[in-house]
Amino acid sequence: MLQSRYNIEYEALSSEQEFYKEAYVLLEGAIIEVISRLDIIRKYRTMQHSKDPIEHCKARIKTAESMKEKLKRKNLPVTVQSALTHVYDAAGIRIITTFIDDIYWIVGMLHNQQDIRVIEEKDYIHNPKSNGYRSYHMILQVPLHLEDRVTSVFCELQIRTIAMDCWASLEHRLKYKKDIPNQEVIVGELKRCSDEIASTDLNFQAIWDMIEKIDQD
Amino acid sequence: MRILLAEDEKEMSNALVAILKHNNYSVDAVYNGVDALDYGLSDNYDVIILDIMMPKMNGLEVLKRLREEAVHTPILMLTAKTQIEDRIQGLDMGADDYLSKPFAMGELLARVRAMSRRKSEFTPNLIVAGNISLNKETYELSNQVSALRLGNKEFQMLEMLMSNPKRMISTEQFMERIWGYEAEAEISVVWVYISYLRKKLASLDANIRIKASRGIGYSLEEDV
Repeated sequence: MLQSRYNIEYEALSSEQEFYKEAYVLLEGAIIEVISRLDIIRKYRTMQHSKDPIEHCKARIKTAESMKEKLKRKNLPVTVQSALTHVYDAAGIRIITTFIDDIYWIVGMLHNQQDIRVIEEKDYIHNPKSNGYRSYHMILQVPLHLEDRVTSVFCELQIRTIAMDCWASLEHRLKYKKDIPNQEVIVGELKRCSDEIASTDLNFQAIWDMIEKIDQD
Repeated sequence: MRILLAEDEKEMSNALVAILKHNNYSVDAVYNGVDALDYGLSDNYDVIILDIMMPKMNGLEVLKRLREEAVHTPILMLTAKTQIEDRIQGLDMGADDYLSKPFAMGELLARVRAMSRRKSEFTPNLIVAGNISLNKETYELSNQVSALRLGNKEFQMLEMLMSNPKRMISTEQFMERIWGYEAEAEISVVWVYISYLRKKLASLDANIRIKASRGIGYSLEEDV
């Protein structure tokens, strides 16, 4: 049984179903597939190292509304077909880890999955966005076994630490607020916070390593 | 870039302010020597342009007092006189350059640019080692693409290491300089902070590293 925390929101499913039709099952399938692989390996690792690298996962299927908007913006036909082939984030998973090293462990593990193809990777941890956004992004092509064939579906992954996630949710709020006075100051302050959090994240990692005595001096 | 302009002729001053602002400088204008000294002492400027003939206190006196108070801001003297004595005295008192009136605006701008270039050399706010730089104003440790903000003690420790590359600094020296004689701090705290700094250098793909010599101390080495 999959744990309930991975349940995909069926909110306003009718309108999503209207747009995605059977493809909705494929998107959901891709999410379940990736999460189940993560689950097996993390449990295995937890048994070996008594430490679960993953704090929690969140998954979502892009709402029909924002998918249509994105297709229009990119001058693509507004069809399920193009939503599945030209847009990579119809299915999305966010993985929240405890430490920075856990992120790269997950990345490595996904690379080792023989039938999952890594289409694209962006390391916004080593190359943060100019606003201070830090995260590791991957686009995967996940095989799905159907009744009579095997098909593949794209899935976008965002992997980051609790601290990075905390920053991202604050920054996300700012995006939707218009007409904030001193916008420039706030943007600058958020960037500074991100650089401070990144610094603290590395301290957490250093302390963890000390506890683990990995760090031989 | 912030410029302090001390010039008592209003019309002249207004014209200079307009042209400097047009060239993307921030300008504060003052019209006598006493104000010039007050503003200059705030140490908030990248360049000071100082007229010699001014009411209340002349430019040379302002210059002398600023240097006495250890304000090292680059200073450009403006003078109506072309006497050699004025120039010699000004330069000897610590002015960085002079321009005699009347002058071409293009030349003033070029001299301001030249002085601000020099400034970064004798008051470096950025310590650079290998592909890494440490900003003393913002406590930022950065490479070309990313920056981390260091905590106070981490910053001080790395500042010591980066200002003295390859020189061995003992654990006791770090303790004395950074923690003082706080009875509470244990000597092992130095090693903890070294670990933090190493993590941060590694995360920035630094080609410098902190080398430990057992029983002696730490030094900053550049990879070859």
